[in-house]
Amino acid sequence: MEDLGSDSGVQSQPDKGKGTADDEDGATQDYGDTYDFDDDDEFFGMDDSGFEPVVSSRDQRKPWEVEYHVHDAHGLHDKQEAMINRLVPVLSVSKDITTILLRNSQWKEESLVERYLSDPDKTIRDAGMFPNAPAPELKTGNEDFTCEICYCDGPEEVYLGLGCGHAFCTDCYVTYLTGKVLEGMSWRIRCPGAKCKALVGEQAARLLLANEPKILERYEDNLTRSFVNDLDSFTWCPAPNCEYGIECHVPKSAWATIVPTVHCRCGKAFCFGCNMDDHMPAPCFLVEKWLQKCKDDSETSNWLKANTKECTKCKATIEKNGGCNHMTCRKCAHEFCWVCMGPWTEHQQAYYQCNRYNEDSSKNARDSISKSRALLERYLHYYSRFSNHERSAKLARRLLTTTETNMEQMQRNSSMSWIEVQFLSAAVDMLSACRATLKWSYVLAYYMESDNQKLIFENNQSDLEMATETLNELVENPVHERTIEEAKRLIIDKTQYVKTRWETLLRDTAQGLQENRWKFQD
Amino acid sequence: MSMVPKRIMKEVERLTKDPVPGISAEPQEGNIRYFSVLMDGPDSSPYEGGHFRLELFLPEEYPMSPPKVRFLTKMYHPNIDKLGRICLDILKDKWSPALQIRTVLLSIQALLSAPNPDDPLANDVAEHWKSDEKAAIQTAREWTQKHAK
Ligand SMILES: [Zn+2]
Ligand SMILES: [Zn+2]
Ligand SMILES: [Zn+2]
Ligand SMILES: [Zn+2]
Ligand SMILES: [Zn+2]
Ligand SMILES: [Zn+2]
Repeated sequence: MEDLGSDSGVQSQPDKGKGTADDEDGATQDYGDTYDFDDDDEFFGMDDSGFEPVVSSRDQRKPWEVEYHVHDAHGLHDKQEAMINRLVPVLSVSKDITTILLRNSQWKEESLVERYLSDPDKTIRDAGMFPNAPAPELKTGNEDFTCEICYCDGPEEVYLGLGCGHAFCTDCYVTYLTGKVLEGMSWRIRCPGAKCKALVGEQAARLLLANEPKILERYEDNLTRSFVNDLDSFTWCPAPNCEYGIECHVPKSAWATIVPTVHCRCGKAFCFGCNMDDHMPAPCFLVEKWLQKCKDDSETSNWLKANTKECTKCKATIEKNGGCNHMTCRKCAHEFCWVCMGPWTEHQQAYYQCNRYNEDSSKNARDSISKSRALLERYLHYYSRFSNHERSAKLARRLLTTTETNMEQMQRNSSMSWIEVQFLSAAVDMLSACRATLKWSYVLAYYMESDNQKLIFENNQSDLEMATETLNELVENPVHERTIEEAKRLIIDKTQYVKTRWETLLRDTAQGLQENRWKFQD
Repeated sequence: MSMVPKRIMKEVERLTKDPVPGISAEPQEGNIRYFSVLMDGPDSSPYEGGHFRLELFLPEEYPMSPPKVRFLTKMYHPNIDKLGRICLDILKDKWSPALQIRTVLLSIQALLSAPNPDDPLANDVAEHWKSDEKAAIQTAREWTQKHAK
């Protein structure tokens, strides 16, 4: 029993967010915090060619897990610095110019170097900088200086000039920069001169804003923001108020066969590809397709679902009353399943067989109704299971609250310590993860063409579904006719079993997608 | 009243001492940020012979923000709408604090000589301009005769 605490932290455990075990081991760390790309020289080539998506000998990364890195603001800053500093000697121009060139080319180092080597001066000028301009500095003591913004003049004025020849007093410059920074701009801020395309540059901006720490901080934030936005291999965690940036080098071209799920340090699990909540095992393109379909079909299907079913035998119109899927025709007494329209006799032992939508008997039953209707029914079959698990996932979150009460009760009614009752919250975490996976598994199934490969998938799905329901029941009512110790052992065993089923489904789909094992239809 | 920046004083001084040909701009008494402008229609444009009234206001942030300018005389022009608002890049995102009232007025005058129906503010006028330029120019002439004399 003492293994429970660590069990909740093994890397294939679903995201828990606030769990403390999470920070010490588990997914976040194994391909996150401890592994650093920075000192890896091959890293820059990875986007274009060297990416190895799933096959990796490192650690115990599971086939469905991808490599990624969670950065805080400092980490993101260091990341930029590292990329800039390694390019300075390659281009052998100032750091200021190198920085602008990198930003201006969306950090695409290779193509930048190529362009630069073929025409350095033009590349620098096109980016709004000047090849041989001296480093920016604050000047004073110039009899001829007049600020074109405020018209102040004389040798006592302090001013700054850029390579374009425009010069303005520091007061005007600071006001100007402040306005632009508050608009969210950073390196794209141009010289205030009329129609001038020169960029102010980071060195000049830092010089000018030296006495405005708040604005300077915003400026640096804006730089980081544009860095993360401009790079394909970076994204912001979509959780509200979360400021972590995620780095992941699974290229866009691989998103059809890999679901790049990442776990932010704040606890959010989301897809690096589409920024939606984790949608394993369905790849992004099917998720997008499905959500669009749900949007398009919601009205028709709701109407059909609510109003029109007919008996598969005698075609009499049948109303669904109550939540039960077991339908009995009032006219001919035929019994059938509301979801798959198949005869109910096949549902009695195993309700979950209904996930086999393509059973011959169901098929035949549906052949008797119109084809378009059947298509809609097919959609509804998957949709109802999809939304069922979605609802259950929400309930599972609520279950967490009751679970905490249960845990307190258990502590009072037994000799167990707080740590020893953690198995309950571990079970709820597992349930949440399974609900999410099951939900999206129906999207995958909806688009799969029927063949033996699909059958294998559906077996895994069915196994996970049954195991999940059993665990759900146990967690909702843990000490029902049991001692606490019995309940604990039972839940731990079930959680472990569910986890195995969950991993089996994820492993199988991750590998199947890689091998193009399934054909997808529209 | 708050102190008037040196910049505005200087601009006003220069505008009075060395006015732009065909344009007069005078600050209102008691409000040096509000200008009444009278602009002659450029030669060999549909606005030739017209005298157009505009108002120009310098917001608190000027020159970090552009002046607000609007025609008061009715215009038939694809980049000027019914309310007299003007579609001109330097009055929006291409504004630079180094630009002045003078350069703004000159740019507006240039816009009268060279309407740009591809970047319209008044869509119906722009459509007219694109489908039958001759007729559109004729309408602009008539409006000039009717409203800008
Ligand atoms: Zn100044
Ligand atoms: Zn300049
Ligand atoms: Zn986050
Ligand atoms: Zn996605
Ligand atoms: Zn019947
Ligand atoms: Zn069924």
